[in-house]
Amino acid sequence: MSYIWDQIRGAIPLITHGNPYLMNLLWVSVRVAVISTSAALVVGLPLGLALGLGRFRGRRALQILANASLALPSVVVGIGLVLLLLPQGAFGSLRIEFTLPAVYIAQALLALPYIVALTPAAIQGLPPGLLAQARALGAGRVQLSLLALREAKIALLAAVIAAAGATIAEVGAVVIVGGNFEGRDQTLASGLMDQFNYSGQQPLATAIAIMMVVVILVMAGVLTVIQQRTGGIQMRFRTA
Amino acid sequence: MRLIWDELRVALPMIWHGNPYLLSIIWFTLKVAAVATALATAIGLPIALGLALGRFPGRQFLRMLANASLAVPPVLVGAILYLLMTVQAPLGSLRLIWTREAVFIAQTILALPFIIALSAAAIQALPEGLLSQARLLGAGRLQLCGLALREARIGVIAAVIAALGTSLSEVAAVTIIGGNIYGYDQTLASATLFEVDGANYADAVAIAIVLIAMILILMCGLGVLQQQSGGIRMRFRSAT
Repeated sequence: MSYIWDQIRGAIPLITHGNPYLMNLLWVSVRVAVISTSAALVVGLPLGLALGLGRFRGRRALQILANASLALPSVVVGIGLVLLLLPQGAFGSLRIEFTLPAVYIAQALLALPYIVALTPAAIQGLPPGLLAQARALGAGRVQLSLLALREAKIALLAAVIAAAGATIAEVGAVVIVGGNFEGRDQTLASGLMDQFNYSGQQPLATAIAIMMVVVILVMAGVLTVIQQRTGGIQMRFRTA
Repeated sequence: MRLIWDELRVALPMIWHGNPYLLSIIWFTLKVAAVATALATAIGLPIALGLALGRFPGRQFLRMLANASLAVPPVLVGAILYLLMTVQAPLGSLRLIWTREAVFIAQTILALPFIIALSAAAIQALPEGLLSQARLLGAGRLQLCGLALREARIGVIAAVIAALGTSLSEVAAVTIIGGNIYGYDQTLASATLFEVDGANYADAVAIAIVLIAMILILMCGLGVLQQQSGGIRMRFRSAT
């Protein structure tokens, strides 16, 4: 076991002294998590609400599709995206292949299924009478959506935690789309993988691994606090 | 869009004519998925049964731990396994690093949380009275486990499918532990990464298409299962 202790003993100073490479990875990871999860929320919440509240034909089929998209392998998303972003590709004129914006897009695409698939599931988990009652009382679409969001908050935040966790931990799409360039678009996860690729320094790898655990715990902790603040589903809604 | 069509035009014949390199990757991927899932099921199901049915102090905490283990990033698992298996490390004398055996081990460990957490959840979701009634009627431990597994079989099979899905599409741990060695221990997912690295986009697309076809087959299986289940049925023989 002394080997592992040596690695950890080597890793701790790197973290406490703020190794610049390490800090850069952390900063990129945090930015990717925040931006990609927010983008996924902005795009995904309306879709999820439509799936959860809408009453249109083909809703079930779309729901199945959304659930299936959760299983999309990240490398597949990566290769699809890179073919669009390469100079000869459809969006090649944007010139964002192998850059941080490309990583944002890839991670947002991977976070999206969590939001789109889990929002309807959260809404369907609400007490059956709640939304019907609001509808009967004359709530409009916007009011109904807000009510559903507020009441399903706990399950929704669980979806956000899952989405943000994926953006931090994922590595397949980041590496393909971003090119895994040190100091430019390397995240903690892809940086960690890079360390083993070229038999790099193990203390640095250990330090990245420790940082990653810390980031995930902090992220999950903060979101859980937000989630639990209201404590349980409350049945408060004004008459419309 | 031209680029995508060009790549597809090269990729599709590769699949069609059964390119030997592609076939060897497919074969290894299937082997990894089958072996890892079988091992994880053999190890994980007893643990899940213990967590869901057992009445010992600390089981609540252990259940939480099982759920949390679902969120552990595969890169992290890969890094930890590397630190255990590399030549100077505690398990270094086994010479596992960068071998096929290491890939099997890594994927088994990654599949385990899915089997444990999801099966335990499925068993706990059984109707309240079912198991206590069986206990009351004098069912022994084995009978109780048999009953729980039979009644929660849909959830358990869903857990197995989830485990298969990760072993098919996981890329980080496989790359770190296996070394992503061409023609030796590449899975479909890690081979995609490898080919993109070498800018062989046509090969990468061919591999990605096969990967997504496999995932689709799995998802269809899951869909059929969920259609068939139609809720959990309450048929059980009296346990004497």
